[in-house]
Amino acid sequence: MAYSEKLIDHYENPRNIGSLDKNSEDVGTGLVGAPACGDVMKLQIKVGADGLIEDAKFKTFGCGSAIASSSLVTEWVKGKTIDEAETIKNTDIAKHLALPPVKIHCSVLAEDAIKAAIADYRAKTKKAE
Amino acid sequence: MDHFARLGLPAALDLEPASLDRAYFALQRQWHPDRFVAKPAAERARASAEAAALNDAYRTLKDPLSRAVYLAELKGVEMPGDGKTIDDPELLMEAMEAREELHDAGSTQAVDALAAKVRADMKASLSGLGSLFLAGDKPAIRKALLRLRYLDKFAEEARARRMNLERSTA
Repeated sequence: MAYSEKLIDHYENPRNIGSLDKNSEDVGTGLVGAPACGDVMKLQIKVGADGLIEDAKFKTFGCGSAIASSSLVTEWVKGKTIDEAETIKNTDIAKHLALPPVKIHCSVLAEDAIKAAIADYRAKTKKAE
Repeated sequence: MDHFARLGLPAALDLEPASLDRAYFALQRQWHPDRFVAKPAAERARASAEAAALNDAYRTLKDPLSRAVYLAELKGVEMPGDGKTIDDPELLMEAMEAREELHDAGSTQAVDALAAKVRADMKASLSGLGSLFLAGDKPAIRKALLRLRYLDKFAEEARARRMNLERSTA
C-alpha cells in the first residue's frame, strides 16, 4: 500500500509528542480508544488566557495512521480557539494525509480525541466559575 | 444459523477444544468440494458456501476471546465494531499506562515479565466471564470484553517488542 508523503512525514517525525499536566486548570485531556484494533490515543490542549490553544501534546499507541492523525491534529489546533478546534472533521484529517479507506477510522479517533479534550477543558472551566 | 448451531455445539463460553475440532473436521469432510465435483452446479455452490461458513465458525469459536465476544453479541451485548471509539477513562488509562510500561521495557526479561502478568490477567478475566454471562449483566460483560481486547492487543505488542529487542541484541 502506498502512503502519502505527508502521512509518512508525520509518522516518522511526529510533532508534539508528550504530556501536559492533566490536573492543571488550563489543560484539557482527551483519552479515546478503538477497541476493535486496540489503539489508544491521548490528546491534550493547553488554553491561554486569551482563549487560544497555546500548546497541544499527544501520545498514541496504535498504527502509523493513528500516530500521524494525532500528530496532525496537535499541529492544527495550536493558535486556534477551542470553538474553531472543535470544527475539525475526521474527513479533513483523512484528506490531508490521504489515508487509505481502511485507515479512515484512525482519523475518527483523532477527531474524537480533540473533541474529548475540549469537553474536558470546558468541564473544568465551568467548575471553576 | 449461528456459529455454534452450525457446528452442532451448545452456545456456551466454555468449549472443549477437542470437541470443537471433532465437530469441525467431521462437517468439513461432509462438505468438502472434492465430494461434489460430479454434482450439479447448485449443489457444488451450496457445498462451497457451507465449507466457507464452517471455516468462519471455526475461526471465531476456536479463540476463547473471539468466542466470548461472539457469544456476547448473540446475547445482545453491543460491542463497538471497526472504527467505533470508546472513552471509558478507567479502561483507557490502564491500557495507556501498560503500553507505556512496555515501551520502556529495555530487556527481553522485562518484556517477558510484563507479558506473563498480562497472560495471567487474561486467564483470570476470561474465567470470570462465566458468572457475568450467568447473571446476564450486559454492561459488565461489555466492559470485561473491552478490557480483554486491550490485554490481547498488549500481548500481541509484547511479542513484537520482544522480537525487536532480540534482533537488536543479536
